[in-house]
Amino acid sequence: MSSRLTVSTVLPGLRATPATDGNQLAEVVVTFFDQLRDPMLRYLSSFGLTPPDREEILQEVFLSLFQHLDRGKSQDNIRGWLFRVAHNLALKRRYGTRRDLEVQADSGAEDLAIDPAPNPEDQMVNDQMRQRLLAVVDALPEQDRRCLFLRAEGLRYREIAGILDMSLGSVSISLARSLARIARSAER
Amino acid sequence: MTFDEHLPDQRLLLDMEGELSPQDAKLVRDHLAGCWKCRARRQDLEHAISGFVRVYQQEFGAELPPAGPRALLKAQLAQLSSTSSYASWFSVPRALTAAALCGLLLFGLLLVRSITQPPKTPVVSIPDSRLTPGATLLVSRPAVCAQENIKNKAVPVALQRKVFEEYGIAGADPRAYEVDYLVTPALGGADDIHNLWPHSYSATVWNAQAKDALEDRLRQLVCDGNMDLAEAQREIASNWIAAYKKYFRTDNPLELQ
Repeated sequence: MSSRLTVSTVLPGLRATPATDGNQLAEVVVTFFDQLRDPMLRYLSSFGLTPPDREEILQEVFLSLFQHLDRGKSQDNIRGWLFRVAHNLALKRRYGTRRDLEVQADSGAEDLAIDPAPNPEDQMVNDQMRQRLLAVVDALPEQDRRCLFLRAEGLRYREIAGILDMSLGSVSISLARSLARIARSAER
Repeated sequence: MTFDEHLPDQRLLLDMEGELSPQDAKLVRDHLAGCWKCRARRQDLEHAISGFVRVYQQEFGAELPPAGPRALLKAQLAQLSSTSSYASWFSVPRALTAAALCGLLLFGLLLVRSITQPPKTPVVSIPDSRLTPGATLLVSRPAVCAQENIKNKAVPVALQRKVFEEYGIAGADPRAYEVDYLVTPALGGADDIHNLWPHSYSATVWNAQAKDALEDRLRQLVCDGNMDLAEAQREIASNWIAAYKKYFRTDNPLELQ
């Protein structure tokens, strides 16, 4: 997916201005919703929000996009803008039930095996590796985790810097540090 | 810039990510060509990325149900667009005058039509609760939510005819109606005449698409554990239009496509 997702890439020839038809703007917003709802939901999940909270935030984000475009504000890099708004709303909404990247010993754990039908030995190795990785990620500072999650959704360094209000260099340091830890955990 | 020593992780990563300038990228490539250790380290980082992405997708790979949230967004956008800059520019007195004239014209046409030509196909947007109180199967929430294909199955023609007769429109053009389930099978609705009614296609406002969106929304609420199945069935059976307004927080239905 292009990192420069703009109004004109969604509806060629259109550049939203305060005089743009509201229905046309709504169509643009719904198209963005269709393209970005899954990555944004995944990112919102990483805050430990409940499904209804995630969906409510998603609605709020895209309604804000409508208002943003309706007021003729910047249409460059809508994806980065959407993730920034979602990030800020998720921070506000997050409460004590954060779903940490903990390994759940419940029934769901079996469903998350990497290989759909590994033998018991491979299954055990996979589970151990997964648990180690989850433990490493969970132990990372919040901002490092956010950088990783956003990068996993395909956002570029500049976009991540904008969303998390960091410098470009800090994003790069953060990602290198996190990946080095993950790589170390795999060596063990 | 030269790299007499090994490349730091940060530089390797920036190169992998395409974030280096062409000159710096060339320096990295030149170094990697002669340094096995840095190449091995680069591979470690690639493995770390692939391992993380896999686990991230498994942990947080949530998906939205197909139409519910989308329909809710469209409903809310429809309300917002009516107050958008464009709409507020348009809603000057001339627009009001035009609307009033159109309204008068439409009223006149309808009046003439009602006098000269009695309707052959009465518009039915909401079922008659005596004829169609709704009927459900004895199914549990997990059973309902486990269903993958949630599209309504076609109602047999003989049963459709019976529904028309019950509603006293046996002579009406069948193409003007969809014989619809009041409580959708996706919410445990039964294949029973008490759960079927003729929904007019000409009901352009509260049409079958609006009802489909409501069904998706209620199913999503039920399957997310935010609503009892019985409550969802009750809501849709008692007055689906009121339920739509309640669960989409809008007085106006939307056109889905």
